[in-house]
Amino acid sequence: MHTPSIFIVIPAYNEGTIIQSVIAEIRSAGYTNIVIVDDGSTDGTYEKAKEIPGIVALRHLINRGKGASVKTGIEGARKLGADIVVTMDGDGQHNPSDIAPMITSIDQGYDVVLGSRLKDCTGMPKYKIIHNHIGNILVWMLYGLWVTDSQSGFRAYSKNAITKIDTKTDRYEYDSEVIREIHRHQLKFIEIPIEVRYTEYSMGKVQKMNLTNGIKTLIKMILSS
Amino acid sequence: MSIYQIILATVAFLFLSNGILKFIKRERSQTFFKLFLTLTIWGSILFFSLFPKTAQEFSSAIGLGENLNTLIFIGFVIIFIIVFKLLNIIEKLEQNISEIVRKEALEKIDKKL
Repeated sequence: MHTPSIFIVIPAYNEGTIIQSVIAEIRSAGYTNIVIVDDGSTDGTYEKAKEIPGIVALRHLINRGKGASVKTGIEGARKLGADIVVTMDGDGQHNPSDIAPMITSIDQGYDVVLGSRLKDCTGMPKYKIIHNHIGNILVWMLYGLWVTDSQSGFRAYSKNAITKIDTKTDRYEYDSEVIREIHRHQLKFIEIPIEVRYTEYSMGKVQKMNLTNGIKTLIKMILSS
Repeated sequence: MSIYQIILATVAFLFLSNGILKFIKRERSQTFFKLFLTLTIWGSILFFSLFPKTAQEFSSAIGLGENLNTLIFIGFVIIFIIVFKLLNIIEKLEQNISEIVRKEALEKIDKKL
């Protein structure tokens, strides 16, 4: 029986202090094919990732955004023969033990598995819950598909999905654009609850979504819709 | 009917038909939301260019009775359209830059294969 080739894609921007431990945790969960996409970091993230043997480390010469990095990573994994691609954030907020149920769902015939923080939002800050609900409503209005967590970056894709999904946006609006593509291609998807670890490190990053970024994301979503 | 009315109605009709055709052809760039915007904006322009008296009654009713105010309003609409077009162009340029950066990043894999 053919064992599917699973690739984990991690976009990383200035995650130099944590990237090696994120990789180590994924490896200890049993996944060896890891693609790190350094998005023009200035803190040596690429060099740190490259130090680990067996890692596919790619680098954007200049910062292009999370969406652009994920797309590069998926494209790289596809070229390397991936059957299943899992995308997760590079700041360690996603738990690698959630990958297994995602793979199971893909094996059951789903094209896309969306990790949802809102299926069980214990420990999630209230403002993030509100922000996510607003995002979900906007995605539903613009793209016509209702999901419980349209902004989650922890997702799994089948080979069929990575061939069909074609995104154009580069930054945080990417996650919403994927929802549009699921709807457009009528891909079979499922949402499963995921754990999110809100550490001091992940909450302290300046690149995270704030009101200004939220408005920019909305404008880009409208332009790309 | 004045020459301005004919020009405005023709332009509005062209934009409307283009938007509807794109939606019928199910072109990727044309979503229901964009069609809705096209129908609202260009539909209103077509309607008011064919029935200008309605516009006068409407502007009097909402306190925009003077010609100067109408001109300022039209100016805002034009600026809005220009800004929208510029944002679209910038977005397209950004996408092209990302595509070049991506190709460069993936060269490493291409060389290995």
